Amino acid sequence: MKRIGWSRRDFLKSASAATLGALGAGFPRAIAAPSNPKATADTLIVLWMGGGMAHTETFDPKRHTPFESGLEANAVLSTFPAIDTVVDNIKLSEGLEKIAKVIDRATLVRTYQAGDLGFILHSRHQYQWHTGYAPPQTVAAPHIGAVIARTLGPLNPDVPAFIDIGQRLDVGEGEELKAFHQAGFLGSEYGPFLVPYPDDVRSVRPPEGMTPSRFENRHKFYKRLAEASPIGEFGGDFQKESLVRSMDNAHRLLSSPASKAFDLALEPKEKFDVYNTGRFGLGCLLARRLVEVGARFIEVTSEYEPFKMWDTHENGHTRLVDMKQLIDAPIAQLVLDLEERGLLDRTLIVLASEFSRDMLVEGKPDNPVKNQVEVPAIMTELKHYGMHRHFTDAGSVLMFGGGVKKGFLYGETAEERPCKILDKPVTIEDLHATMYTAMGISPALAYEVEKRPFYVTRDALGKPVRDLFA
Amino acid sequence: MARLFLFIVFGLLSYPISARAEEGQASAITEVPAAATHTVSFDKEIKPILNRSCVQCHGRGKARGGFKIDSRETLLAGGENGPVLEIGKSQSSRLIRLVAGVEKDEVMPPDGERLTPEKVGLLRAWIDQGLEWEEGFSFGRFKEAPLSPHRPEIPVAEARGSTNPIDRFLEPYFESHDVQPREPVSDRVFARRVYLDVTGLLPTPEELEAFLRDPDPNKRDKLVDSLLERNQAYAEHWMSFWNDALRNDFAGTGYIDGGRKQISAWLYQALKSNLPYDEFVAQLIHPVTGSEGFIKGIVWRGVVNSSQTPEMQAAQNVSQVFLGINLKCASCHDSFISNWKLEDAYNLASAFAPKPLGIFRCDTATGATATAKFLYSELGSIPADAGREIRLARLAEILTSEKNGRLTRTIVNRLWTRFHGRGLVEPVDEMDNDPWHPDLLDWLAVDLAESGYDLKHAIRLMLTSRAYQLPSVSLDLLHQQDYVFEGPAVRRLSSEQFRDALAAVVDVWPATPATDIQVSEDPSAPGRVRAWHLKADPLAVAMGRPNREQVVTHRASLATTLEILELTNGQTLSEILKQGAAELLASGSATPEEITRHVFRSALGREPTPEEWALASELLGEQAKEEGVQDLLWAVAMLPEFQLIY
Repeated sequence: MKRIGWSRRDFLKSASAATLGALGAGFPRAIAAPSNPKATADTLIVLWMGGGMAHTETFDPKRHTPFESGLEANAVLSTFPAIDTVVDNIKLSEGLEKIAKVIDRATLVRTYQAGDLGFILHSRHQYQWHTGYAPPQTVAAPHIGAVIARTLGPLNPDVPAFIDIGQRLDVGEGEELKAFHQAGFLGSEYGPFLVPYPDDVRSVRPPEGMTPSRFENRHKFYKRLAEASPIGEFGGDFQKESLVRSMDNAHRLLSSPASKAFDLALEPKEKFDVYNTGRFGLGCLLARRLVEVGARFIEVTSEYEPFKMWDTHENGHTRLVDMKQLIDAPIAQLVLDLEERGLLDRTLIVLASEFSRDMLVEGKPDNPVKNQVEVPAIMTELKHYGMHRHFTDAGSVLMFGGGVKKGFLYGETAEERPCKILDKPVTIEDLHATMYTAMGISPALAYEVEKRPFYVTRDALGKPVRDLFA
Repeated sequence: MARLFLFIVFGLLSYPISARAEEGQASAITEVPAAATHTVSFDKEIKPILNRSCVQCHGRGKARGGFKIDSRETLLAGGENGPVLEIGKSQSSRLIRLVAGVEKDEVMPPDGERLTPEKVGLLRAWIDQGLEWEEGFSFGRFKEAPLSPHRPEIPVAEARGSTNPIDRFLEPYFESHDVQPREPVSDRVFARRVYLDVTGLLPTPEELEAFLRDPDPNKRDKLVDSLLERNQAYAEHWMSFWNDALRNDFAGTGYIDGGRKQISAWLYQALKSNLPYDEFVAQLIHPVTGSEGFIKGIVWRGVVNSSQTPEMQAAQNVSQVFLGINLKCASCHDSFISNWKLEDAYNLASAFAPKPLGIFRCDTATGATATAKFLYSELGSIPADAGREIRLARLAEILTSEKNGRLTRTIVNRLWTRFHGRGLVEPVDEMDNDPWHPDLLDWLAVDLAESGYDLKHAIRLMLTSRAYQLPSVSLDLLHQQDYVFEGPAVRRLSSEQFRDALAAVVDVWPATPATDIQVSEDPSAPGRVRAWHLKADPLAVAMGRPNREQVVTHRASLATTLEILELTNGQTLSEILKQGAAELLASGSATPEEITRHVFRSALGREPTPEEWALASELLGEQAKEEGVQDLLWAVAMLPEFQLIY
């Protein structure tokens, strides 16, 4: 495996800065876990299908019923036909032809069991998916990216340890999204580096309108001014040094060779075009480039915004044609590119969503919750055709690389409505435990906050799904 | 609730915790695991094991099998069947054999999670190494701070003739802790501190000059008084502190569907009018118009953990903010880290509830019902059958009664922490911990009550003390085990102080406040929009303004890399610098010299040194241009001398 552009010495330099950063924060200390597993991955990429991705329309196709006026809603399980893949026993939904070609590198879990949070709220389920804890919580629960950043540190000190690509926080329910896009009690040192627009390099460039040479001169001027500053006579040097060190870290991050990874314009055009299905596709390209320079945790989202993208309350079928087009090519290419570069084995990719959808069932069949959308029993218009309710009793999670099996199918769901889990349910605790285990972190690792242990999986209950590992 | 323990509030050692035996542990164990080979620590390694696995039945007043581990002595004494261990002989210890699971018919703990071989090894080493115990420590009951107010005698200060009571308490303290007397900081440093601590703003060059020139020997006291009289500036500064603590914000989770209510307007008026602290607290607990939001909490749609209902949130937040009590653990089960019981939390929460609450342990109904009751029944009782209004009124009355020394100790400790960077008690939300100067804490608390709960009185006392005026101490010294007070810590400007300071240097203020609160009473001078009054933007968040979904009572004071990144290339700051540079250049005769001088004087409160003159002149050249001025502003704003309160 090759990654470029940093040395161990740099790493140590930055690690000490992080330690200092933690010192002022009333920092939580780690409580020894029973024992950490041996890592099978160095990097984790979460591909987030925010809004509720219907399993029967994507990775778990069921009987297809084409639309016609007068169709009974109850008759429809999938609005797309199933397609063959390169693995005999795995069928996918039409529109995922490119992923179908690389499914021999994948582990496909069809039995993700979303939480029972009563009233379905995307933001609460997303919070739970990303922190392992259902809100509200008495302390600010950290995002899994922050836990990984805190526990493992950056892989390359010039690349932020936790990078979040594609989610704008000023859209509808932005406040709810902010509540888990954070490091919580672990301290902001471990928070997300936000890149809402993957093709916008401003986040790693000098401020707009500033040439690189002016940027360099400004930093030099600052260093000289700081040295000339008479503050030395007051107080200790501790904070002064830590501030100047953080300034150097930030400057290095913006001017290091690794920062070029953020510049998608440097990608050959044909490759760029393959990925360019929209912001999500470019996010995948950015993720690949970041893995090449040593990123630790990356989340790329198709973006959650109420009633948009995967959040289909009507026109579900039509919308999903577009959604699949958005994700199919870039995900397949990401897998192939990482494989070609020898990075797939040590990079775990996890595609997931907060819950699934169904045409009729809201919540779970045996635990229905308030319907959030009206669904006519008989369809008369195309806009009725699609999975418009929120379903929590099954969901698909697709994984690649990082030590998981290849061409492997896990778990089974019913062929008839409700298309629910039949065996081997995987809860968020177990899914997180699997991801943490791959990264070499014990699911029973805890950080101390307010004298209490905060486990990285709820109450240390998460157990890795051993079957998924190669 | 469909599943047991489904929403157990965050990683508590919820018991009965469902068994999570590691794989392979099920097979029969025949041998005691080996003892750990390193020197084990009672505090770090042993205490957590005993706390987690033993004290439920053998501590906190319980003695199953006649065995209790409250103290080293009771542990050595053993139970009904005699001693369970002998120092130095862990191999044959009954305690070890039971926890290791080698006895056929008996294993400890009988339910729940078993001890791992590593943990047994630690216990073995502990026994073999002499059974170290922390002096005075007991598993019987946690230490509690006294509740009643206490008025210690103010010591007669001899050596240095101190008059401020704080200094009179500290003089013998310094003596006995071998702290050498040091000269107070200069007028310039003092002025910067008090302006920032009272109003959140830097002194303007004119204000600073006037103060430096004033020959009055009492000018420091006079300055503190005059700043405390600036009611608007004071209120605007303290809004951020109270917004954090009362988790009040202008946007956030819950507001979307009326599940949360702002208290901004009420809070602003309360601070501006210096509402006595007992009334301030009373109005938050037994709300008046505008202050309902605090106990309303955040109402979530859907099912929430029983420990997180609005009433439980109210119980937790009231206890934390006003009393320095952590009720979060006890909201799920009897606390493992304090003496608070599940019942205590539910009883307090019932005061806020329409009717008495059913008690849930770890989200499972126990069948018991709570009775509205305050945590300290010695302070008074709540008529449990009365309506909610009456219960709240009574709760407010009890909690703010003069007999409650905990209320005043908690707030004076918070004030002290604001000004010194470290509390008399730490952490500030754990007021059962030992203060480093109990008499000083007690006296400050009593003095606050006697002043009529006048927070400005307490602030005045603290800021005019010599202690506050001592040279600052490096932050890294604060977290040492044997902390000795030698002076305030170097602090960092808060997110809001930084923003306001920069705005003042260039005199460009934000256009749009987040609320329609009239900060100024003079409609012709509506006042500048200060940082507290903005919605959280990336710069504010990066610099430490918290997400106010939970109570926040302290902010980190060291810079993080992500924060500096935002300062280095973030759009928000970049815009401020652009507008600021344009403004400076537009204001009259803007030569490089004048701009340099203005920036140094207004940002740092001093003239540039010859070396700084040379550097700035090199940067700005013959004729100042926007880019150069932006870069000068940026570099000065990034200086430790600007960002730190030293």
